[in-house]
Amino acid sequence: MIKKSVANNIKLGAFVIASLIFLIMIFYMIGKNKHLFGANFTVKARFENVQGLKIGNNVRFGGIDIGTVKKIEIINDTLMEVVMTVDHKLKKILRKNAIASIGTDGLVGNKVINIEANRLPDHAAEENDILLTQKSVNTDEMMRTLDRTNNDVNIVAENLKIITQKINKSQGLWDLITNRKIAIHFNKTAENIEKASMEANKIGVNTNQIIRKISNGRGILGKMISDTLLYSNFNQTIVNFKKAGIRTDSFLLKAENMINNIESEINYGKGPIHALLVDSSNTLLFKKSMLNIEKGTEGFNEIIDAMKHHFLFRRYFKRIENEKIKSGNP
Amino acid sequence: MSNTILKKENIDTIETQKKTEPVLMVSHLYKSFGDNKVLIDFNLKLNKGENVVVLGKSGSGKSVLIKCIIGLLLPDEGEIHVLGENVVEQTSSSLDKIRAKIGFLFQSNALYDSMTVRENLEFPLRRHWIKNNPDEVNQLVQQALEDVGLGYTIDMMPVELSGGMRKRIALARTLILKPEIILYDEPTTGLDPITGKEIIRLMIHIKEKYNTSSLIISHDMNCVKLAADRIIILLEGKCYAEGDYETLRKDKDAKVIQFFE
Amino acid sequence: MPVSTSTKNLLNEVGGISSFAGRFFSQWYKPRYEIAEFFRQCYVIGYKSLPLVGLTGFIMGLVLTMQLRPTMVDYGVESQIPAIVGIAIIREIGPVLTALIFAGKIGSSIGAELGSMKVTEQIDAMEVSGTNPFKYLVVSRVLAATCMLPVLTVMSDAISLYGSYLGVNIRGTTSFSLFWIQVFESLDFYDVIPAFIKTYFFGFAVGLIGCYKGYFSSKGTEGVGRSANSAVVVSSILIFIIDLLAVQITDVLGYN
Repeated sequence: MIKKSVANNIKLGAFVIASLIFLIMIFYMIGKNKHLFGANFTVKARFENVQGLKIGNNVRFGGIDIGTVKKIEIINDTLMEVVMTVDHKLKKILRKNAIASIGTDGLVGNKVINIEANRLPDHAAEENDILLTQKSVNTDEMMRTLDRTNNDVNIVAENLKIITQKINKSQGLWDLITNRKIAIHFNKTAENIEKASMEANKIGVNTNQIIRKISNGRGILGKMISDTLLYSNFNQTIVNFKKAGIRTDSFLLKAENMINNIESEINYGKGPIHALLVDSSNTLLFKKSMLNIEKGTEGFNEIIDAMKHHFLFRRYFKRIENEKIKSGNP
Repeated sequence: MSNTILKKENIDTIETQKKTEPVLMVSHLYKSFGDNKVLIDFNLKLNKGENVVVLGKSGSGKSVLIKCIIGLLLPDEGEIHVLGENVVEQTSSSLDKIRAKIGFLFQSNALYDSMTVRENLEFPLRRHWIKNNPDEVNQLVQQALEDVGLGYTIDMMPVELSGGMRKRIALARTLILKPEIILYDEPTTGLDPITGKEIIRLMIHIKEKYNTSSLIISHDMNCVKLAADRIIILLEGKCYAEGDYETLRKDKDAKVIQFFE
Repeated sequence: MPVSTSTKNLLNEVGGISSFAGRFFSQWYKPRYEIAEFFRQCYVIGYKSLPLVGLTGFIMGLVLTMQLRPTMVDYGVESQIPAIVGIAIIREIGPVLTALIFAGKIGSSIGAELGSMKVTEQIDAMEVSGTNPFKYLVVSRVLAATCMLPVLTVMSDAISLYGSYLGVNIRGTTSFSLFWIQVFESLDFYDVIPAFIKTYFFGFAVGLIGCYKGYFSSKGTEGVGRSANSAVVVSSILIFIIDLLAVQITDVLGYN
């Protein structure tokens, strides 16, 4: 009897202890999550609106749970003070100028306080320090912004609808888009423009170099004046220049026309817009040519100007003028 | 035990009654349950070494009387003196002291089903703080079981025993406290006549061995005939007739005769 | 007439239970203390119920997890199963399920045991043997039930959660440690403490009703059966009533 009751008591004791251990484990785990055990220190943050933050909500630093909200006090009508207990290990890490903001855990989760480190240096935070705060995105505000954006999108969509309708209706545009020849022509044209402008550029650069040489070297200059060959060469060059310029001009004119056409076609729904859009290399080429042309003509103008004023060429220019006058006034 | 001779020395008993204080005295006892008046001005005396049978029909209030004596029921009025102490006026702790001197054999034996025979017998010893030494307790248990001739059942459970054995175990449990008075509540009810007779013989044997006084409640005439020194007929809540077996058997009263038919 | 009779019966029952509870409270702290009997009852009531309670708890955790899964997958929050099951088990299913099983097992056995003791005069015999049967039988059992049900509930919670862990791993894979971390992350003291406290009341109710029904069992074997049966019925109802009260109280106190 006595032996049996002792054995029973042992079993009972084991049973009770096992469940006590589990109970303590539950409490300890919750307590650990809540940072109830171990040393803590307190920091504060002041917000205009705590957005339903509650006592016990988590405090995170760089996304890691480091403590909980201990108290929420109303300081005045526009300021709420949140008192947080934070793991003492953070004492060395957390700085006075860290920024606290109120966020949400997930889309519909609990509120959390996110503490972010400030990039600027500062002293380590101390007990009862008030951290900087950042107004966080409020769901209401978010919704309001979203509403506005929605309206804008609506308008854009409406316009887009009209445009696509127009495009759809316009037979000419479809013809253009579907006509491969036009696209090929356009391609070629653009290539030609590029070539031409590149040549013009080269010439311009060469001329520039020559002029620089002339200006710098007096020896050469003397030679140049006496050397008729050079002179005739030079003349030829100028003539070439002129030709090139004229060619460039015509190309430019064509290009201008083309651009005008494109513009009008974009605006009025009749143009090879599609070809351009489909072939992105085209646009690139086009852009490049335009730049080259610009550069070339600029250089050319400069050279011509310089020449006009240079004493060496003054005569030449005068003669041309005189010839012009002569031929103009027979 | 089979050769026990019943002596009915009426004159002697009356003389001793005068000389010594009765061990049990019930006077002017009233008890009712609602409108049902069970006991009306009931009086009873039990002398030392005497076997008294209370005879009555079922539902006549015999069990109520015996439960009032042991303090399980509180009477409405009247006094019950057990060994000089009034049971009615006792606190629960002093009542326990009186109860330790009274044995009570229940009609249904009231053996604790969850305990072995040994534990059943140990129970009153431990509960009355009488003996705590395991050796002594063991010895007393063995002794009581020997008295009823069932020493071998010591580690059995009550459910394994027959009706007659259970009654004897219950008697052993009653005896273990060496009571001065034993109250028997229908000791032969539910037993076959032979087993019933055995139980009665055992009762008489015990009375002689330990010199106890007994109050037996019964309606079994076999029991009455064998065990009774004196008979009290309980009728309509009152002590209707009193006397020894022979006297009452010759009584002309119709209500008395019906018991002896 | 039958209405008034049943109303009377109900009031009689409530009054009887209340005065029985009052008697318990007026006696339990007074000597003599039935310590040995209390521990014996703790063993019988607590330890012996563990296999049954553990089995039902295990199955409940497993089944709950598997039943929840399709819905959780639909909402794309499959990873929240441990959290939801944890809260459900710790807050409600663990305590109530354990208490109901406990009522079925212990309430009926106390009712039947005390009922048969009453019928066969064992209770009277105890009183005659210098024992306060109320303390020896009722106080020890009620206290044992009150103390053991919380312990059983905690064990059942643990086993249920283990069942749930297995349930999660039938279809998906979650490591043991992640499962427990998720369970405990979702829990708060406000989830555990009220649930733990209410189990004391459940245990008290089961013990008290079982003893009341047994202690005042009517004569005969039929009476014993009836006490056992009504002990289970009444204590089960009482468990739900207490549960309702508990949720209201925790709500009012703001711990919900």
